[in-house]
Amino acid sequence: MRNISKGRQIVIYIGLILWMLVNLFPVYWMFTFSLKSNPEIFGENIIGLPREWLWSNYSSALNTGKMGVYFLNSAIVAIATILITLVVALMATFALTRLIWKQRKTLNKFFMLGLTIPIHASIVPVYVTLSRLHLLNTYWALIIPYSAFSLSMAILVCTGFMNEIPRELDESACIDGCSVWGIFLRIIVPLMKPAVATVGIYTFLQCWNELMFANVFISKSSLRTLPVGVQALSGQYTTEWGPIGAALVLATFPTLFIYIFLSKKIQDSFVAGAVKG
Amino acid sequence: MKKLYSNKLHILIFLLPALLLFCGVLIAPIGASAYFSFFDWSGFGAKTFIGFSNYKELFTSNAIGFLKALRNSLLLALLSVFLQLPLALALALTLGKKIKGERTFLSVYFMPVLISTVVIGQLWLKIYNPDYGILNVFLRSIGREDWAQIWLGNKKTALGAVFVPTLWQYVGYHMLLLYAGVKSVPQELREAAMLDGATDGQVNRYIVLPYIKPIIRISVIFAVTGSLKSFDLIYVLTNGGPLHATEVPSTLMINMLFLRNRYGMGSTIAVMLIILCFGFALLISAIFKEED
Amino acid sequence: MKKIFALVLALCMVFALAACGQQAAPAPAAEAPAAEAPAAEAPAAEAPAGEQTVLKLWCIATESDANRPGYEKAIAEFEAAHPDIKIEWEAFENESYKTKIKAAMMGGDTEDLPDIFFTWSGAFLGDFANAGTVYCLDEAYKPFADQLPEVMLSNSTYGGKHYAVPLTYNIVTLFANMDLLGQVGWDHVPETYEDLCACCDALVAEGIIPFGCAGKETWCVTEYLEPIMEKTIGYEALNAIFQGQATWNDPDIATAVSTFQDMINKGYFDPAGMALGNDEVKANFLAGKTAFYQNGSWNTGEVNNADFNAAVALFPVMNADRATYSQVIGGPSDSLAVCASSKHPELAAQAAFELGRGICHYCYLAGAGLPAWTPDYDTSDVLPLVAAVADIVAASDGMVLFGDTAMSADPANTYLSYVAQVYGCEIDGEGFVAGLTKDLG
Repeated sequence: MRNISKGRQIVIYIGLILWMLVNLFPVYWMFTFSLKSNPEIFGENIIGLPREWLWSNYSSALNTGKMGVYFLNSAIVAIATILITLVVALMATFALTRLIWKQRKTLNKFFMLGLTIPIHASIVPVYVTLSRLHLLNTYWALIIPYSAFSLSMAILVCTGFMNEIPRELDESACIDGCSVWGIFLRIIVPLMKPAVATVGIYTFLQCWNELMFANVFISKSSLRTLPVGVQALSGQYTTEWGPIGAALVLATFPTLFIYIFLSKKIQDSFVAGAVKG
Repeated sequence: MKKLYSNKLHILIFLLPALLLFCGVLIAPIGASAYFSFFDWSGFGAKTFIGFSNYKELFTSNAIGFLKALRNSLLLALLSVFLQLPLALALALTLGKKIKGERTFLSVYFMPVLISTVVIGQLWLKIYNPDYGILNVFLRSIGREDWAQIWLGNKKTALGAVFVPTLWQYVGYHMLLLYAGVKSVPQELREAAMLDGATDGQVNRYIVLPYIKPIIRISVIFAVTGSLKSFDLIYVLTNGGPLHATEVPSTLMINMLFLRNRYGMGSTIAVMLIILCFGFALLISAIFKEED
Repeated sequence: MKKIFALVLALCMVFALAACGQQAAPAPAAEAPAAEAPAAEAPAAEAPAGEQTVLKLWCIATESDANRPGYEKAIAEFEAAHPDIKIEWEAFENESYKTKIKAAMMGGDTEDLPDIFFTWSGAFLGDFANAGTVYCLDEAYKPFADQLPEVMLSNSTYGGKHYAVPLTYNIVTLFANMDLLGQVGWDHVPETYEDLCACCDALVAEGIIPFGCAGKETWCVTEYLEPIMEKTIGYEALNAIFQGQATWNDPDIATAVSTFQDMINKGYFDPAGMALGNDEVKANFLAGKTAFYQNGSWNTGEVNNADFNAAVALFPVMNADRATYSQVIGGPSDSLAVCASSKHPELAAQAAFELGRGICHYCYLAGAGLPAWTPDYDTSDVLPLVAAVADIVAASDGMVLFGDTAMSADPANTYLSYVAQVYGCEIDGEGFVAGLTKDLG
């Protein structure tokens, strides 16, 4: 910042703060929306603070919808998806960057094909496959497709990290008599820790708000995830919007808090693993 | 070492879980879609093989309007590359210089990515509302009543009105990617340039940008394929309306698959989307290689 | 390279087989409706004493839906009457339910399908019926024939066979805010088109918007256009067009469209409506921002409870040579159907009828629709506005099912896209007729 004049610095800060307000607004809006009555939501008072803070919206969201159950389901699915994606991606990346065989570059490109596939195109074939395997109406019905759709990104990120690990480590481990599995588990995996946060956040983004698969593959309300649960709060003849806002807050804020809490770690790992192409 | 790492069995075992998942959930459905795209089929009941008729109809029928939808999403891709990415890059470069409050800015800018598209959509519906929407209220309050619009209901403004939130929501995503790159530029490189008397702009131009080029490439690929696949927010805001003004290939596809019961045609759109996304990804990679 | 390629190919084949294998799956199910002919044996025989049979039910009565209490009561009542049957029911959001039920019907294992499911009659169910994925209810209907008039089944009858149990039925009604009409000197809803125009002109002069119509949801536009078309060409002609027995090439259709666009151009419609969804337009009417709201009679309960004096009527006659005032648009659409793949089809069919009767009963009393079943209970508690709608229906001398329900999915959406263009004034009456004649015949 040495050769920046005071004036320019102020302009930069004003810009940054303005942009920050633009990005904070949805959070503010969602929170106040969740405490308002219908007339306020529909026009009387869109952006102001609620005239009467209707905390009852929260109790009705919690009572009518089973938000707690939905949240737990979403968390189980997300955590399992992240774990599976990580394990599978680490193994594949190891083969793609370390092991020696001819067509590994081609296969890497093949995996990158996954970044281009629209998730909605595959609903029916995936439904049929899951149904044949008797996996519908289980957590697996979501964990498996979510992991598959997160895989390409995860391999991309892991490749960047793994290429950074010096090959001499493998060599010396090999001389010490380590097997391939030994090298993978004892040398590579521990050094890939920073990748966990990056892969985790991308995978989380992929599955936390997903609606289409979650709606079609899960029928039991006890297994529903948050987006479907929130959507099921609004019906054909909905009259009260406040509780829906409350449900949205309950669905979103925990992730925001966790993100803020972990943001330093997440950002550091992003920097450490800056995709190297 | 070489022998250890060339063991075919190990290679297979390491790759198998990924291949199983990937082929089972992603590649096989593409195969199924490609197969169904040659049929006239409602999704249930009998299906008739019709060769390339679906593809022909897709590109010639005005009623379907695929070309217009494609044009819309390509326009979005262009805006994404030339507006969204530069903004994200500017933020990343600014924040990458150890500015005060760097972490706070970074965290806040990423928030819209974490918020569900349904929420973002509802918010923008309220912003654009013709009667009490924030945008029109603001225009009226500064005396520009004549600028007030039915933003999402007017064929001329709807596309722009849908693009703004779509582009805005993911600025933070690209920013974080690029910021990571900016931060990974070795401090010595920067300092050496500074000692030579380079200005901030020159450091960015000659040191940082070339260094993070691979990340910019990835960002551009994500921006373009993301634009071609864009669906959620448009579905919430206009669902392709008014009068197909904001139709994109994905909204058309869902329409064909589940509303019009034209599973064959829906599959055709899916296949075209995948081909286009992959084609653009290769093209972008080639352009970046060319420059080197 | 070859080996990798072969591996990938092999993996894909495995999954493709699993995925494409589904094509064989609906086939046995398709034979079911034909094989079910000798049904009619006592359903109770299927469930040995002491063992509970589980029937799965999918519906769209979500937590906040006005029909929810009706479903809860009807299911509780049914389970009390049949202790050997357990109803496992799940409710889904309206729009995503359509995707879900279609995906489920397209393939996969039959055990993932429900026994009984909510459906819209007309073409939505027709596609399932033609594909043989729903169970024929002719036998099960017999014992209920005296409580459920056969005419109520006509929208879910394909090839002379009944496939669904209607719950409630609905018509398009013109809701009016009498407080606002009173401000411009009207104490009743105008009954002729001239009067309606005079009333609207007076409202516009007072700065009150007469109508609201949600352009974002095209079905809301049909709630205006279809009554105008019916009141111009008569219910028989419109029915013939919707059923595909006559072409769209009727000059009076063009006249009807022009009438609608005249009203738009005269400023009778809230211009903001183009960008709004139905919820917002309805909220505007309920908040007293528009004077009229023409939509389905399922809104009656809500309008009845609004803060103003509300009245309900029909759209006036445009062409007295072809139409009369008491012709309506509507009919039973919300229904229950039974999956052909059900393990207990006879039992499920009987349950569908009993549940349908109960749901109809409680939803009618709650003001969420009109009864498709003949009421055999005290109806004196019915909301006054709901009773008024019931009177309109009782007096009706012709009914046309909603156009997008009557037509099958692809033509229905073509029709809707032309309707959207009419509301956006992209095409005029001639263009509407010419386009639909060309695309749909």
